[in-house]
Amino acid sequence: MISEKITGYRKNFLLIITFIILMSVLFVLSLFLAYNFSKKFIENEFVSEKVNVLERSIKPYNDFFQKKLPEVSYYNGYLDSTTASNFVDTLLLEYPFVSKVIFYDSEVRNTPVSDGLNTGRFSFGPKDIYQFGSLVPLDSVKLFSRDDTRRFIVGDDFNALALKLASYIESLDTSRVPSQDELFSNFSNVRSNKITYLNIPRIEDIKMYKKMLRSTLTPQPVYQQDMLSFHLDPYKIKIINTRPKLYQYIKIEPLTYDPIDTTATYLSTEITLPGPFSDFKLYFMSSKSFVDKEIRNYFLPIAMGILVFYAIVVLVAFLIYRNLNINQKMFKLQYDFVNNLTHEFKTPVSVIKIAGNNIKSATMLTDKELLLYGKILDEEADKLNGLMNKLLAFTQIENKAIVLNRDEIYIEDFIESTVESHKLKHPDFEFTYEVSGFTTFVTDPVLLGSLFDNLAENAYKYSPAERKRLHISARLIKGKVVFRFTDQGIGIPSSEINNIFKKFFRIQNQYNQNGSVGLGLAFCKELVNFMKGEISVRSRENKGTEFKIVLPYND
Amino acid sequence: MSLNTKYLFLLLLTLNVACQQRRSVGDIPIDDFFKLQDKMAYRVSPDGLNISYFKLEGDRLNLYVEAIASGKSKMITRMEDKSILFYFWVSNNELIYYKESDVASHRSDIFIIGKDGKQERQLSKDDTSRLRILEDQLIDGRYLLVSSNQRDSTVFDVYRLNVRNGEMEMAAKNPGNITEWRTDAEGKLRLAVSTDGGNSTLLYRASEHEPFQPVMTNTFNTTFTPIAFQPGSPNIIYAISNVNRDKAALVEVDCHTGKELKVLFGSDTLNVTDATYSRKKSRLSFAVYETWKKEKHFLDESVRQIYEVLDSLLPKTETRILDRDQAENVFVVRTFTDRNPGSYYLYYADQRKLKKLRDFNPAIHEEEMCEMKPASFPSRDGLTIHGYLTLPNGISPEGLPVVVLPHDGPVDRTLWGYNAEVQFLANRGYAVFQVNYRGSSGYGKKFAAAGYKQWGCKIQHDIIDGVKWLIDQDIADPKRIGIYGSGFGGNVALNGACQNKGTFVCAASNSGIINLFTYLKSIPPYSKSTLQMYYEIIGDPLADADQMRWASPLFQADKINIPVFLAQNTKDQNTSAAEHLQLIRNLKKREMNVTYLEHDGISYPSKNQESRRKFYAALEQFLEVNLKNR
Repeated sequence: MISEKITGYRKNFLLIITFIILMSVLFVLSLFLAYNFSKKFIENEFVSEKVNVLERSIKPYNDFFQKKLPEVSYYNGYLDSTTASNFVDTLLLEYPFVSKVIFYDSEVRNTPVSDGLNTGRFSFGPKDIYQFGSLVPLDSVKLFSRDDTRRFIVGDDFNALALKLASYIESLDTSRVPSQDELFSNFSNVRSNKITYLNIPRIEDIKMYKKMLRSTLTPQPVYQQDMLSFHLDPYKIKIINTRPKLYQYIKIEPLTYDPIDTTATYLSTEITLPGPFSDFKLYFMSSKSFVDKEIRNYFLPIAMGILVFYAIVVLVAFLIYRNLNINQKMFKLQYDFVNNLTHEFKTPVSVIKIAGNNIKSATMLTDKELLLYGKILDEEADKLNGLMNKLLAFTQIENKAIVLNRDEIYIEDFIESTVESHKLKHPDFEFTYEVSGFTTFVTDPVLLGSLFDNLAENAYKYSPAERKRLHISARLIKGKVVFRFTDQGIGIPSSEINNIFKKFFRIQNQYNQNGSVGLGLAFCKELVNFMKGEISVRSRENKGTEFKIVLPYND
Repeated sequence: MSLNTKYLFLLLLTLNVACQQRRSVGDIPIDDFFKLQDKMAYRVSPDGLNISYFKLEGDRLNLYVEAIASGKSKMITRMEDKSILFYFWVSNNELIYYKESDVASHRSDIFIIGKDGKQERQLSKDDTSRLRILEDQLIDGRYLLVSSNQRDSTVFDVYRLNVRNGEMEMAAKNPGNITEWRTDAEGKLRLAVSTDGGNSTLLYRASEHEPFQPVMTNTFNTTFTPIAFQPGSPNIIYAISNVNRDKAALVEVDCHTGKELKVLFGSDTLNVTDATYSRKKSRLSFAVYETWKKEKHFLDESVRQIYEVLDSLLPKTETRILDRDQAENVFVVRTFTDRNPGSYYLYYADQRKLKKLRDFNPAIHEEEMCEMKPASFPSRDGLTIHGYLTLPNGISPEGLPVVVLPHDGPVDRTLWGYNAEVQFLANRGYAVFQVNYRGSSGYGKKFAAAGYKQWGCKIQHDIIDGVKWLIDQDIADPKRIGIYGSGFGGNVALNGACQNKGTFVCAASNSGIINLFTYLKSIPPYSKSTLQMYYEIIGDPLADADQMRWASPLFQADKINIPVFLAQNTKDQNTSAAEHLQLIRNLKKREMNVTYLEHDGISYPSKNQESRRKFYAALEQFLEVNLKNR
């Protein structure tokens, strides 16, 4: 039985060890996977986040394109050099990537022009051309005027958009209203580092332009058109690094830029700029150690999470182990109890057996022998009966199966009778007692007797032969009856003092090698509880023990 | 817990019902305010035997003629899809009417028709030229004096149109700049007004055989309106004039010298806007002058008597004579007040008897409408600004939510009278404050000139000063002031939003002028002569570009920080839907609260009922959320 118990115990331990090992493996594995995931994730981010950087960096340009360009149309052709200059000034301030603006103050006419575009009877040519920009010297602001045509050739920008306009008007379907998008794309020209924009006239005016292609109108109409050519500098785009911990360097480079020597120590990626900047790209570069730092930054919280999870699992394992341990101890106690009980039963049974054998084998018995065997049999049967009663009573009390009797007792008489019976059993047992404050007391005499018997028995049992003394005091204190049982026995070690009222608990020592089941004090506690009282203990090792019982006093 | 919630719910439900009940009692349905008249535009035939009117059936208007004696009426036109716009009698048996042919360019065809609906004939030739009728009386029973641009699309010549066969014979060739023609008592063309843009010149000739001679030249901000030739003296005319004076007066002018001979009626404080001349009696009937409302100064005792009788028959109401027969015995009279759109009456002068024809809007009950009171306040630079305040009925005039309602422009004014829009807003619990800001007409030359090129500047100050005055009177709740206007009123409203320093909590605009440059572009080619005038009033797009940009909300979208309601008439020539969308895009980009509504016009009473209902419902909701329940 003992070996079985030990193997069972070991099995549990092994299980737990296996569990811990498996969990640790899982922990290490998940850390490893998490790190790999972080690495992959950051590397992916490195490639995908560039879209956000592009979006944020190019936002001023989009603003310029969607908000500022149409503003030219708001003027409906009424722009002149002063207003245009003011307009450009705010533009240069707000959008640093605009380096220079050329303003063609133009007219649509029905008569041919010498500078500009003539198609059919439709002509489109500049009156004056100005350039504005932070680096343009004051004396070269005006590039062209009808009176002074020497200094400038009507450039490519103008001609390209003028041609676009002419072909659009040629193909215009006047029966329907053109959409804004259609108008925008036909009145603007986006080329490398340049946007040319012509103010969009009213639909009625566009229809008139169409008429002007074919016929000469009277009176000859003149329409004002403003064309602005914006020169853009991609290097002036302010790069907004949305992920400074991911991208170490972001540069604007020509589309062909491709350094050879960086691949070993650097990670790099690129994205092409939109619209007029399409000859350029954003080039992103980070050293590997820089990226590693970001990977670590990303990995750390994940690792912490795994660690916390692992810690919780280990804690749970420990708690399960502890509970198993306690259950193990309980099992041992119950086992000991059965062992003791068997032993207790065995002695009287074997005595009865011997007596029976003797009687059976004897040819004749003397009267003296008969009396002896009769007494032995009677005593041993009483012992067995007592043991069984005790066990039964305990179970009954524990299950609250008995009813409390209420009789009035004279306390001195009660103590006397207890003392008497124990003196009879153990002539070397010395008793003293005192009673103060009350003489009678209403309680269940059987239960109280049982309580007294148990405590007296214990006092006798756990006292060395020369100090088998017990002092019983009974006092009425603050409406409660207080009994104290003070002996001068071996005492209880302080480490065990909390366990003595537990079932099947016994302190291992020489005094209880036989005739103890470890039920006594547990039984006492159950009794006191049943009688709505309290029991407590004070003890000093080798000096003695004092049990204190407080019971309600009913008079 | 659940019980509590149940009670709370019940309580809320009761409150809700209570609110709805209060609303349903007070709120008159939108349609009631703008209900169409089913019969309108009454006129009486020259012989006084028939009356005519438009009758609305479905969404179609048709012309009816009714014999007064028998009461029998007959529909004489059959409109299928296009609307009839305007008509008048040319003889005892014939009428002329205008039929709308092209909504976008305001083009219409002109027809003559017998009173029995027979002998209908189209007078206008083709759809490229336009025809205007100068005199509504037939000459020699067949000729009609018209002006037409059939020779040159930018120039209107005068023709004698034979209504019998449609032949046109030129009566006077326009040298290119004449914009107005006037006839004498015999129907001879003897006066004309020419314009070179800013200035207008009065031209005169003693007979049709002589060439026109210039009499005087005035700048555009000077009024000189010829009324009639003085009977007996062929060279003396009656005219409304503010030449050399701030407020216009009724004067006599010698066309030989151009000198003013006599002031018939006028003073330093009264602005005369019109005068009525009776051809039958050959004398001036009365002059009309504007103070806070239009008033008459009688120049003919018999006319005064007619109006006195009318006043005694129709007390406490304004009366206007819309039409009369030749004998001046049968009159078409209309009445109105600020709280009543009024009714049509037929008045027989000989019997002193009135016969009610029709209410303008029978859904309107006078006692439910609100009073429109004149108000005035000083501006920060010492001008007196006039306006009108309409307070909601049944609420004590303290701490009210206010809708400031600037009128359209560029040169216009708010006049006292029934205004459905104002009554609608007042009925919804708003105090409506209409301001005749500087530049408004009717207050003299100086006041009008004070508003030139002041869009977004001093005009805006006048509005703000008015609001301050209203707050000082404890009428307005300073935290609940909104502004709403149409056209130039919309410009004022949105500029109020752009330049807002906590005055307004929301702004609404209907077809508002959001870009002054575009407005100037919209002036049609044949009106180029007026362009210079617009440059004066609004701004020169080159010289005043900065000021115009400042006064154009489209450029100032970044400054708008309050909820705005933008409605746009997609057929409006003066504003561009694309620009409205651009403005909205710019506002949305800044996550501003913008409500946008496109409609196809709300102003013509005979149509657009659906879009009008939608517009006012949206406006009501916008104001309720952003102004009233703020």
